[in-house]
Amino acid sequence: MSAASSFAPVGAVVAVRKRLQRRYGLVVLGLVLLSLAVASLSMSVGDYPLPLADVLRSLLSPFTGHADAANDFIVLGVRLPRVTAGLLSGAAFGLSGIIFQTILRNPLASPDIVGITTGASAAAVLAIIIFKWSGLGVSVMACGGAVLTALLIYGLAWRNGVTPYRLVLIGIGMAALAGAVVSYLFTRARIMEVQEALSWLTGSLNGSTFENLTPLAIALIVLVPLAALLSRSLRTLQMGDDAARALGTRVEFSRLGLILVAVLLAAFATAAVGPVSFVAFIAGPIARRLLGPSGNALLPAALVGGLVTNAADFVAQHMLGRNQLPVGVVTGALGAVFLIYLLAAAHRSGRGG
Amino acid sequence: MTARATSATGLPPAARAGGFVLLALALVVVLALSITVGARPIALSDIWNAVTAFDPAQTNHKIILDLRLPRTLVGLLVGAALGLSGAILQGATRNPLADPGILGINAGATLCVVLGISVFGITQLSGYVWLAFLGAGAAMLVVYLVASLGREGATPVKLALAGAAVTAALTSVTSAILITNVQTLDQIRFWQVGALTGRTTDILLQVAPFILAGIVLALLTSRILDGLALGDDVARGLGLKVQRGRAMVGLAAVILAGAATAAAGPIAFVGLTVPHLARAFTGPNYRWILPYSMLLAPILLLGADIVGRIIVPPGELQVGIVTAALGAPFFIALVRRRKLAEL
Amino acid sequence: MSLKTLAATAFATLLLAVPGAAFAQAWSYVDGSGATVTLDHVPTRIIASQDAAAGLIPLGIRPVGIYADSAIADAKALEGLDLTGIEIIGEAWGEVSVEKAAALKPDLIVAEWWPLENNWSGGKDVSVALRPLAPVTGPIQGSSIVTLIEDYEKLATSLGADLAAPQVVADKAAFGTSLAKFKAAVAAKPNLVAEPVWAGTDGLYVAATNASSELLDFASWGLKLIDPEIADDRGYWETLSWENADKYQPDLILVDNRQKSTMETALAQPTWTSLKAAGAGQVTDWPAYWLRNYAAYAGALDKLTAAIDAADQDLSTE
Repeated sequence: MSAASSFAPVGAVVAVRKRLQRRYGLVVLGLVLLSLAVASLSMSVGDYPLPLADVLRSLLSPFTGHADAANDFIVLGVRLPRVTAGLLSGAAFGLSGIIFQTILRNPLASPDIVGITTGASAAAVLAIIIFKWSGLGVSVMACGGAVLTALLIYGLAWRNGVTPYRLVLIGIGMAALAGAVVSYLFTRARIMEVQEALSWLTGSLNGSTFENLTPLAIALIVLVPLAALLSRSLRTLQMGDDAARALGTRVEFSRLGLILVAVLLAAFATAAVGPVSFVAFIAGPIARRLLGPSGNALLPAALVGGLVTNAADFVAQHMLGRNQLPVGVVTGALGAVFLIYLLAAAHRSGRGG
Repeated sequence: MTARATSATGLPPAARAGGFVLLALALVVVLALSITVGARPIALSDIWNAVTAFDPAQTNHKIILDLRLPRTLVGLLVGAALGLSGAILQGATRNPLADPGILGINAGATLCVVLGISVFGITQLSGYVWLAFLGAGAAMLVVYLVASLGREGATPVKLALAGAAVTAALTSVTSAILITNVQTLDQIRFWQVGALTGRTTDILLQVAPFILAGIVLALLTSRILDGLALGDDVARGLGLKVQRGRAMVGLAAVILAGAATAAAGPIAFVGLTVPHLARAFTGPNYRWILPYSMLLAPILLLGADIVGRIIVPPGELQVGIVTAALGAPFFIALVRRRKLAEL
Repeated sequence: MSLKTLAATAFATLLLAVPGAAFAQAWSYVDGSGATVTLDHVPTRIIASQDAAAGLIPLGIRPVGIYADSAIADAKALEGLDLTGIEIIGEAWGEVSVEKAAALKPDLIVAEWWPLENNWSGGKDVSVALRPLAPVTGPIQGSSIVTLIEDYEKLATSLGADLAAPQVVADKAAFGTSLAKFKAAVAAKPNLVAEPVWAGTDGLYVAATNASSELLDFASWGLKLIDPEIADDRGYWETLSWENADKYQPDLILVDNRQKSTMETALAQPTWTSLKAAGAGQVTDWPAYWLRNYAAYAGALDKLTAAIDAADQDLSTE
């Protein structure tokens, strides 16, 4: 009897775990398939008329040697880098966002809201308007701006440790300051420089090339395994500082490491495509809602990020009238809708920010 | 935390009236400086003549009466409006970080002004006023509603984040318009920095009635705010109508902050920091915090404007930049203070 | 990297594959950046920046596509030109639709070389995006609009334009007449001094003569211009607080006419009339930075001439 009664709960746990694992697998598979679907759509639709068969032929041309210069340029030189930029930057923003949200234990805290991307923006605008740089120089400045802002926020929020509350509020203060810098630079620049800076500030996949995606790709290769490694301690952090400390995690160290990874991800993504708003903000919560109570949302959040970015870019390019808008315009609108949903959902379940 | 326990902070009650008089004197000095100091040196005798024996042919007289005087008065009203709206918002929400600027009104006002320029072809500052007013009010309402979702209501962090999020959302719509409309961009960039330059008498006359009405309404709320500071239940016990009180505060805040933004463009940090400065003198008593904020804010705003006028000759630095540069460090110091959340 | 090579090779092949190319005459052009562009045929499918289009269209060279720095309706340079049938592939600085451009199958991109910025007009992003489609070339933006128009004439001729076409000849003749009248008007008012400005709510911007090709033209034709002591805004402008708007007293004010709001902003400032010329209504348009053809230039000169004729040349010294 006693053996049977202790066996039953174990069996239930195993069953639950299996169910959760299956759900995780389904979610990941679903996201991958959806991403592929959106990517195929983006690859086959455009102002340059190109039948699907030609798109496929061009995609395979590096292997088949069946080259058609004009088509290959559009498929391999324009659309493929664009889709790749969306996937990579979206994944980086999504990862960065979910790490922030988990560490700060607040679904509203993401790098775009706590001021890190605004710091990157101010640095980039400085580069565009004052130094008259473009391309790589702007990216380097954006990256440096993001890291510097993050360090400043963390340093200023430090007072016998860092509370999420202080971190978020100081981040917002820094964002307002960086915003004032941008406003000022806008009044000192020639109008075309302001146009260039504004388009960068909105976040755009225009003009993506494999060359300017390389730094982001390398960053992802290095940082994603690091994030996965640290995410084990992330799960204990979710239980709160006291619980985590009781479990023996060196709280401050893990937190710092993860924040650094998240900041770098946001920095490299911002450098590549500009501060595409709200992707970091919405990817995590969407992934969590898809997964339910089960485990590690890092990979799903990254997939959601890439999916959302490419879907938004498709809408911005092809579904908003004659003008092709930068992707950031659509993600911004999307984020507002999602925010209200999030707060309404928090109302129902009683879990507020 | 009761009113009695913390009334020890700030000046002793007897000294508060004296402090108020000193502040009033300081404001008069700043007003005088704002009339006398500018990008163009003008002799005091000329200034006196401009007032007593105005001669429209004299450029110096025109500058005093048509530029510096309206600019100074707009600064006075905008400052008072920002300081008061910050103070009553912080009181009504019991949130030390409530600030009209952080609550999304700037983004709302900017979007409406951008629409006005691009859709209706409005080109002059005085034409922006109504639009900015409308946008500011609407945005603030949305932020408050969004932040109020959820069980604990509008907590400090939720308000701030909802403000930042709504700001980002509105900004993306604004960007969508500006990216394809360079003429609008060229105009809006000088407005959205926040400035008192070019604010002439017609702008003063447009916003003055609103700000004056808002000031009266705000000062009337001090009893409600003192009650709310004790908690809603205690306030009800004291016979206060809590809901009606909050609505009145909200209305006053929207009028004040909306009119201020309409007149000067987005100006950050003044509404946020001044009430805290006032509290340092007065302790937690809104009967004093409100008048103190009303005097301190224009002193700071006009002071920042004067600094901006002389720091980069022969041009000027906009007041919005100066207040951001001074306000951000203060804000950060404020956040670092331990007991901030308990207001 | 391999992709880049692939694309480059691919495009070389594409260019060779253009029908009839093998029989066409080779074409080459030394552009404003000093580089020589060589093609094995005379390009016929041209994508032009808004300024280049404004230079080429009146000479009879119609591009297949135009990218502008703003909405086409706001592009001052293109005002009055017939753009029917020309695809608009960009309406913001630094933005261009590569797909639309590629669909046009261009064989040449014409822009202007800006020596001060070391860049092509439209922004680096645009020239980088379009370069894989066709070579980017064009005249240099130098010290004279007349020279620039002559550069466009050379380019257009090499592209097959007929400069003896009646409309082209008439435009040039009209410009000659307008110029003669302008010079005469200037000579008749030797004391007249003009001040080119842009008006913002934050201040009055006085233009540096050296930073504007048409101002250099006016100066070379005898018009006296106020040249700011310090062009603090990176060589283009001196920014004057509205309190100091009367730092210089001209007899004639030229207001940047790229946007109509500039004049309205100026008129709304109480100290605008501290400039005696403003008070006396001696104010006219400055066709700032956008003139690219004889017809537009003639119109602008006629307007200036009328303003000079009507002006009191001793206003500022009275």
